[in-house]
Amino acid sequence: MTPDVLSGRVRWVLGRLLLAAATLLLLSAVIFTVTDVLPGDAAARLAGPDAAPADVARLRADLGLDRSATQRYLEWLGGAVRGDLGVSAISGRPVAEVVAERLPNSVVLAGVALVLAAPLGVAAGLAAGMRSGRPTDRAVTGTSVVVAAIPEFVMTVLLVVVLSTLLGWFPQVTTAPLGGRPWDAPAAMVLPVLSLVPLGFALTARMMRSTAAGIASSRYVEAARLRGVTGRALAVRHVLPNAVQPAIQVIAVLFGGLIGGSVVVELVFNYPGIGLELQQAVGRQDLVMVQGIALVLAGLALVSLVVGDLVAGLVDPRERG
Amino acid sequence: MMRGRRWVAPVRIPARTPREHRAWAALRALGLGVLVGVMVIAVLGPLWPGSATAQAGLPYTAPGTDGVGLLGTDGIGRDVALRVLHGGARLVLVAAGATVFGIVAAILLGVVPALLFPRASGAVMRVVDAFGVMPGLLVLLLLAAAFPGDDLMLMVGVAVVSVPYSARVLRAAAREIAGAGYVEVARARGDRWWTVLLHDILPNLARPVAAETGLRFTTALHLSATAGFLGLGRGAPWPDWGLMVQENLPGIALNPWAVVVPSLLLVLLIVGVTVVADQVATRLGRERS
Repeated sequence: MTPDVLSGRVRWVLGRLLLAAATLLLLSAVIFTVTDVLPGDAAARLAGPDAAPADVARLRADLGLDRSATQRYLEWLGGAVRGDLGVSAISGRPVAEVVAERLPNSVVLAGVALVLAAPLGVAAGLAAGMRSGRPTDRAVTGTSVVVAAIPEFVMTVLLVVVLSTLLGWFPQVTTAPLGGRPWDAPAAMVLPVLSLVPLGFALTARMMRSTAAGIASSRYVEAARLRGVTGRALAVRHVLPNAVQPAIQVIAVLFGGLIGGSVVVELVFNYPGIGLELQQAVGRQDLVMVQGIALVLAGLALVSLVVGDLVAGLVDPRERG
Repeated sequence: MMRGRRWVAPVRIPARTPREHRAWAALRALGLGVLVGVMVIAVLGPLWPGSATAQAGLPYTAPGTDGVGLLGTDGIGRDVALRVLHGGARLVLVAAGATVFGIVAAILLGVVPALLFPRASGAVMRVVDAFGVMPGLLVLLLLAAAFPGDDLMLMVGVAVVSVPYSARVLRAAAREIAGAGYVEVARARGDRWWTVLLHDILPNLARPVAAETGLRFTTALHLSATAGFLGLGRGAPWPDWGLMVQENLPGIALNPWAVVVPSLLLVLLIVGVTVVADQVATRLGRERS
């Protein structure tokens, strides 16, 4: 490895990280504007319509709303860097504490679902891509298009009705033991995880299919065919290794999306995750909580995007363009 | 007669017999008919007389009981059939409005800079891309926190989610057209820039825009339905297919129709539109992603 190559790689990684930081900064400004500036006077809203003007003024001073929006944004951002996302004006709990309590639950939910769905999706997509245009391909492509089109909540409700209401195999509501984690009662995790699997499967299968189809029609796969390599050996030895890196990229992005997208599943099962907390905070008009959770979720989605990008670029120099 | 290249494993695409062909055509017509039927229910349903929010009977009455509508009642005794008729229009309108908003914004942010200020268009895309990082539901929830119960903001939110994808795709299409030989020829023979735009660029941009519009409509429907389920936008007590599924889930053992019918209509609508938009897009020269 010559120093030149190394420095090129290092510069590329630094550039990516810098771009990610700029993106996060922009998103934080957008999140702050939407939750703090656009809704108007938070003090008047919290105090209620009948409050005396003096009370409202005192509340405004207490909340620090008498300072300019820019000043408040910078303070919020500075706090966020130090791990302090403010205190909910409604529940009185620090936002960071709530995030620390709820986020692991969502990460485990999305992670387990992905561990189940991704290998299935990769296998199905590979099988379909190797047989472009044939019945296997049409079955996999058709299934993944339809499954991805059906809204998650319909799929989730279907699972609840069949496996819980009709058959009674699994509990319909996640009940984490007090102070414990949802996975302390594994039976209650089954349905939430199963609800996320179809979407993860469909998206992985679709991406893997188009990648594998491209590789399967390449010259080196043709050469392998001419040498007499066929069937599974061809798929596993020649196509799969070249498709691993796009697959990693897709799965990384999917992970970030699943955490944000598990709002529906968490609502249906009352699963104590970050998505449910966000949804409840929106319902309560708890804007400090909403902006904190939104920042964390956007950051997480960005991190999974960047990780996928970096893995792809470090494995395959062509991705670094 | 070996011409140097290629022996590829024979691709066996079984030829369709005329009978199979007719069966497929019939199936396709049936699917299209169902989709049109659901669309008609969704869009024209609200014209059916009656109040979708008034109580009509006892809670969760199954159909077949006296004085209860075709599909029974929901958790607070409202007529499910009437709510089904009134509950699809909002979804279709929000999705259609968001699609139009989104495509117009994507043209303004993707196509216009690529054609007029090619140097700056990369920077614009970086900013647009930043919004694409946020999961769609997160955008909707953020806006719902700031503007509760507002269908217009929901529409804006659904549009915002679609813009990064559309802007990227349409920008690529515009750049390809702007660099094409016929544009170069037109420029070289001294056509004004607006003549080039009107005669050479825009007509060729129509196909990618049409394909993108169809694909975005499907994702907009998907997202609006989920927003309805979460109670975002106008919310209760107004009827909405997605919201009905959530509201009536607790009473599923008593009156399953209140969950089954709206779910089924949603699936038929969204899957139908997806399949049609996919085929139209492929026919318009768009590759599957």
